[in-house]
Amino acid sequence: MDMNFTADSSLAPSRWRKVAYGGMQPGYDDNHTDETFLEDMVMNANVVKRNMLKVMQDSVSISQYLCIVFLVVLVWIYTLRSTLNENSLLLLDISLLGSGFIILVLTEEMLSLKRLWNYILNVSFFTTGLFVLAPIYQTLTRSISSDSIWAVTISLLLLHLFLHDYSGSTIRPSGALKNPNLTSCISLNASIVASVFIASRLPSRVHVFATMLFSLQIFLFAPLVTYCIKKYSFRLHLLFSLGLMAVTLTFVYSLHCLLFVLLVGILIFVNVVCPYWLIRIQEYKFEINGPWDEAKLCFDITD
Amino acid sequence: MADLKHRILMVSDFFYPNFGGVENHIYYLSQCLLKLGHKVVVLTHAYGNRSGVRYMTGGLKVYYVPWRPFLMQNTFPTIYGTFPIIRTILLREKISLVHGHQAFSTLCHETLMHARTMGYKVVFTDHSLYGFADVGSIHMNKVLQFTLADVTRAICVSHTSKENTVLRSGLPPEKVFVIPNAVDTAMFKPAQQRLGRDEIVIVVISRLVYRKGADLLVEVIPEVCRLYPNVRFIVGGDGPKRVRLEEMREKHSLQDRVEMLGAVPHASVRSVLISGHIFLNSSLTEAFCIAILEAASCGLLTVSTRVGGVPEVLPDDMIVLAEPDPSDMVHAIRKAISILPNIDPQVMHDRVSNFH
Repeated sequence: MDMNFTADSSLAPSRWRKVAYGGMQPGYDDNHTDETFLEDMVMNANVVKRNMLKVMQDSVSISQYLCIVFLVVLVWIYTLRSTLNENSLLLLDISLLGSGFIILVLTEEMLSLKRLWNYILNVSFFTTGLFVLAPIYQTLTRSISSDSIWAVTISLLLLHLFLHDYSGSTIRPSGALKNPNLTSCISLNASIVASVFIASRLPSRVHVFATMLFSLQIFLFAPLVTYCIKKYSFRLHLLFSLGLMAVTLTFVYSLHCLLFVLLVGILIFVNVVCPYWLIRIQEYKFEINGPWDEAKLCFDITD
Repeated sequence: MADLKHRILMVSDFFYPNFGGVENHIYYLSQCLLKLGHKVVVLTHAYGNRSGVRYMTGGLKVYYVPWRPFLMQNTFPTIYGTFPIIRTILLREKISLVHGHQAFSTLCHETLMHARTMGYKVVFTDHSLYGFADVGSIHMNKVLQFTLADVTRAICVSHTSKENTVLRSGLPPEKVFVIPNAVDTAMFKPAQQRLGRDEIVIVVISRLVYRKGADLLVEVIPEVCRLYPNVRFIVGGDGPKRVRLEEMREKHSLQDRVEMLGAVPHASVRSVLISGHIFLNSSLTEAFCIAILEAASCGLLTVSTRVGGVPEVLPDDMIVLAEPDPSDMVHAIRKAISILPNIDPQVMHDRVSNFH
C-alpha cells in the first residue's frame, strides 16, 4: 500500500510520490524537485482581456460626471457674481427636477404608481426641509473669508471626484443589487458639505435655498438619472454624454480661457490616455492560484 | 562528520507558554536535538512576567528577551534595535547554526538578517501557507524575499508548502527541503478497549475561528445528526465562532447529541480523541495538519477537507477527503461511517509509528 518495497522496486527505483508520510523516499533527497513541481499552479485565471474601444466607451461615464461637476461650479460662480438671479435659478431647479422625473419614468421598466408617489413624497419632504433650514445655512460661515471657503470647496470637490462611485449610484433605485460602500458615502458627504459652504456666501435666503436645492439635486440625483439612462440604452448614454461635454466646453470657454484648456486636457487624459495606459500595463498582471489557496465558502454566513 | 556537535539557536516569536503548532514543533525538535548531543538555545520575546533566562527539560536554555509584543504575539519590528542583544547571545553561546521559524514572526526575520550579516549559517522553516493577493500578504512576501535572499537552507512541512514558499520568496527549489512534522506516537496511543459500534462518536478539536472552517461545521453537524440518529459529536476548542456553534445547537435542539467541551489543554487532547471513532477536520487552509496525525495515531478514522497539504499527510485508506462544501462533507462522513468496521485502531497506530 504505502511502503511495498518488495513489490515494484526490484530493478527500477520507485517513482517519487507527493506524500509527506513514509520518511525519505528511496533514491530521492528531501530537496528533490520533481517535474510535477508547480503543475497545479494556475496563472491569471480571473483576468479579463480588455478591448481598447470598450474601455474608452466605459471611460465616458467618468468624463460625463466630470462635466456635470464643472457645470455645477459654473452655476455657483454665476450666482456668486449675481449674473444669475434667484428667480432664474429657481426656474432652473424646477425644470431640472421635472426633466429628471420624466427621464426616470421613461427609463424605468417597472413603472408603478406607488413608486412614483414614493419619489414625489420624498422629494417634497426634502425640498421643504431645505426651505426651512435655509436661514441657518445663510449665516453659517459669516466669519470665514471667501478665500478659505473656495479653498475648502475645491478640496472637497476633488475628494468627491476621487472617491465617487462611477459605475453605480449611491442613492440606489429600489431593487438595485449592491449596497453603497464607504468611499461612495464619503464622497457624497464631501459634495454636500461643499454645496453648504458655497451657499452660505450668498446674500439672501431665497438665493441660499435655490442654490442649495440646485447643488443637492445634482449631487444626489444626477448619478441616479445617468445610471438609469445607461441601463436603458448605451447609445443614448453616449449621446447624452457627448452633448453634455459640448455644453460644458462652450460655457467654460466663455468664462475663462485657461479653465477651458484645463478641461480639454482632463477630458483627453481620461478618455484617451488612461485606457491606453491601462491596456499597456495589463500585460504585467500576474495572478497566482493553486492548491495552497484558502478555500472560499460557497454559502453566505448569516448570523 | 557524524559526531560534529552543533550549537543551535532556535528563534521565533512563538514559544512556550503559548500553545500551538509552531511552539510544539520548536520544543520537540529541540528535545530531539538535545538527545543527539547538540546544544540548543531558544530565543523568543518575554511573555508577561516570564522574562530573562529560563531552563526547560533536558537543559534547554530559553532567552525571554524583554520586549513587548505588539500585534498577534509579534515583537515590534525595529530592524536594528534587536542587533545588540542578538549579537550578545550569538557570541556568548558560541552558536554555530541559527534556525528561524514561521514567516509571520518579526523576531525571526530580524535574527536571520543579523545572523547572516555576522556570517552564521541560517536555516528557515515555514509552517503556514499564505496567499498572494491581499495587502498583508503582499507586504509579508516582500519582507520574505528580502530575508530569504541569503538563507543557507529552507525547510517546508509539505510539498504544497514548498511550492507556496518557493513562489512567495523566489528561492531556488533545490534549497528547500521538505521535512514533514511528526507526532509523538508514545503520547498518542489508542484506547485500551475498543469502543462499541452502536453509537458513532465524531470528534472535532480545533480553534473555532473562520480559518479552521467553523462555519462549515455549523452547516454540517445538523445535517449529519438528521441523517444518522446514532451519531454523536464532541466539539473541543474555543474561539470567536463558538457562539455560532452554540446557536446552531439551540436552534436544532441538539444539546444531547453535540457536546461542547471548551478549550482543551494539550495534555488532555488524547483522552478526548480516544473517546471517538471519527475525527473531523474542516479547516479552509492547512500547510500540514498535525491534528490529523495525532488522531490517526490514536486510531481514529479522519474526515477532512481537501486543502493545502492535507492530502499528503495520510495514506488514502486512513483518511476520507472532501471538498470544503457542506454537502460533500456529509457525503464523506457517510463514506467514513461505512468503512468504519474495517478500521483497527491498533494497526493504524502501528502504521503511524512507522511513518517517520
